[in-house]
Amino acid sequence: MADTVLEEWRELSEDFKKLEAVNKIYQEKIDEVNKYQKECEKQLQHQKYRIAIITKNIQKSGTKYEELKEEILKREAQLHEIKQTLPQDSGRYLKVILGNVNVSILNKEEKLKYKGDYEKFKLIISVVAFVLAIVNLMFISRRVERLYLFILVWYYFTLTIRETILRVNGSRIKGWWRTHHFVSTAAAAVLLIWPESETWNQFRVVFMAFNAYLSFVQFLQFRYQRGVLYRLKALGERDNMDITVEGFHRWMWQGLSFLFPFLFIVYFVQFYLACTLYSLSTMTGATWHVPTLSLLFFILSAGNITTMIMIVPDKFKRNVKLKYRLLSQRLWNSTDNSTKQN
Amino acid sequence: MEDSVFEDWDELSSDFKELEVANKTYLEKLDELDSYQKQCLKHIEHQNYRLNIIENSLKDLSKQPECKEKVDVLHDGIMKRRAHLHEIEQTLPKQNGIYLKIILGNVNVSIINREAKFRYKNEYEKFKLVLSIIGFVMSVLNLSVVFRPLELSFIFLLVWYYCTLTIRESILKVNGSRIKGWWRLHHFLSTVAAGILLIWPDTPTWAQFRNQLMWFSAYISVVQYLQFRYQSGVLYRLKALGERHNMDITIEGFHSWMWRGLSFLLPFLFFGYVIQLYNAYALYLLSYSPTSTWHVPVLSFMFFILFIGNTATTIMVIPDKVKEKVKLQYRFMSQRLSGNLVVKENEHNCSKKQE
Repeated sequence: MADTVLEEWRELSEDFKKLEAVNKIYQEKIDEVNKYQKECEKQLQHQKYRIAIITKNIQKSGTKYEELKEEILKREAQLHEIKQTLPQDSGRYLKVILGNVNVSILNKEEKLKYKGDYEKFKLIISVVAFVLAIVNLMFISRRVERLYLFILVWYYFTLTIRETILRVNGSRIKGWWRTHHFVSTAAAAVLLIWPESETWNQFRVVFMAFNAYLSFVQFLQFRYQRGVLYRLKALGERDNMDITVEGFHRWMWQGLSFLFPFLFIVYFVQFYLACTLYSLSTMTGATWHVPTLSLLFFILSAGNITTMIMIVPDKFKRNVKLKYRLLSQRLWNSTDNSTKQN
Repeated sequence: MEDSVFEDWDELSSDFKELEVANKTYLEKLDELDSYQKQCLKHIEHQNYRLNIIENSLKDLSKQPECKEKVDVLHDGIMKRRAHLHEIEQTLPKQNGIYLKIILGNVNVSIINREAKFRYKNEYEKFKLVLSIIGFVMSVLNLSVVFRPLELSFIFLLVWYYCTLTIRESILKVNGSRIKGWWRLHHFLSTVAAGILLIWPDTPTWAQFRNQLMWFSAYISVVQYLQFRYQSGVLYRLKALGERHNMDITIEGFHSWMWRGLSFLLPFLFFGYVIQLYNAYALYLLSYSPTSTWHVPVLSFMFFILFIGNTATTIMVIPDKVKEKVKLQYRFMSQRLSGNLVVKENEHNCSKKQE
């Protein structure tokens, strides 16, 4: 019995030596990869620097270099693709919250999976929020209200973190969309500490009804978005990490334009809430929370409506579509040609 | 001018071809790296699996007195092997736990480079230090003037601080820190307590409690500051001595073997825990007051739990016996494997062959 155990131990120790050997090669590979990373980064910088110079020279001569300009645009798209394979700096916000840990996802498949998870997360929370908003409409329980608002604060806070990570990984998430979430976190926080008062009682019903409607629209949006994402994946157009408004990719508008009116209603109700809060702030017994929230809702509705209006116009849509087709096209043609030449 | 632009462009394009080639090789290397990672992980799983089987066999063997020596040798070997495996695991990426998966999503936060790991931990300590100072300033401000927005800002800061700590500590855990369970739970509980403090309405009961809370926060900030300042000193000394592999945090940021240099802080910590108990008691009494809300008894309970957890954990780490055993375990783990252990194993094998 003792001998078999010793034999097993000896065998395991032999295996362990193999593990040590593999681990050693693995660590050498890490150094190799780092070396190539630095090389790529250096060359990328070089390309960017020279392109800036060339562009400046071209601009002086006016409209002569149309073909060259298009090639530069293509080159920038290619450089962007290469950049996505290299680790990126996290930015100040993530550095404060997470510390200096690298959140770049280098594998393209995993990047898209990460974005898919983000959409799924929003979907799940919008369902939870919908249920809680309905509960808050049916019963008046201070504790359920506080719970709901805590979840809202936590949700928007988590979104800001995840979206910053998406940004580090190449998502061209539109600035307003991210600001919108920071402002929403602040608004939810103010709502959370708004003390129980007559003003709150007058506001809560409209607010909860609005939330239920918002969660419903978000649910529709995220569900259809995922559908479009899957379709695009099948078509092979899956490189795009962009999110413009409320999670919409620019070229999704065609399939999802039926949602426009729903979203516009959301934004106008937000504006209405801002006005309601403003009139409530003149009531006796209104605390500082009321005018502050009025301002925050006003900012949200103004930003949302403006961004929506900017995205919709057809001319703009087509121009942007062309730009993105260039950017997101699998460089089959150009890379095919270059490999043939070799 | 025209020609030079096109010339520049052509030169740049040929440079670009080089970049494409380098990038292609880089991506291939990444894939190779990935496959080696998977191999190592498989090996480690295999080792752990077999180690457990061998340990079970040893349990039966240890009942036979004639095998005692061999059993002891094997036990020793197993402990060393687990230490080796732990070291190797630190070079490989690890999955996030549930908490991080919910907040960050499935992004990899393993830091593979040892230097970078150590730097990350230092940064975490520095973060706590900076926030302690800010916390101290805000507590003192709140003691000098009673202004509701100032109070709320301070409590908001507390909620955010503890929430951020939970995230950072989860990342530390993914990177091999054996951060003690209580320490992490303590921060989750503190986040909840701060949250409840935040929604506690501005009642006379709050007015009666707030000063006590602010004094307590100021005191805690001072103790934390002392602790981190001295801890950095110890860390630097250890770095110089070469003992810098340890990512462990036991209590309030203490590494087990730091106690000797920092035991003067113990009475300060204990006094802090006693104040927590006093807070719990005061809140309990206040919960009988007519203007008291549900927040009061809940907070009383939470402070009480924090007191119990803190005191128990601190007491458990002190005893000398525990300290020595833990020191031995850690010396195994943090020794560079190439040196002593291989030599010892060779000596051992030679002596066994002679038998």
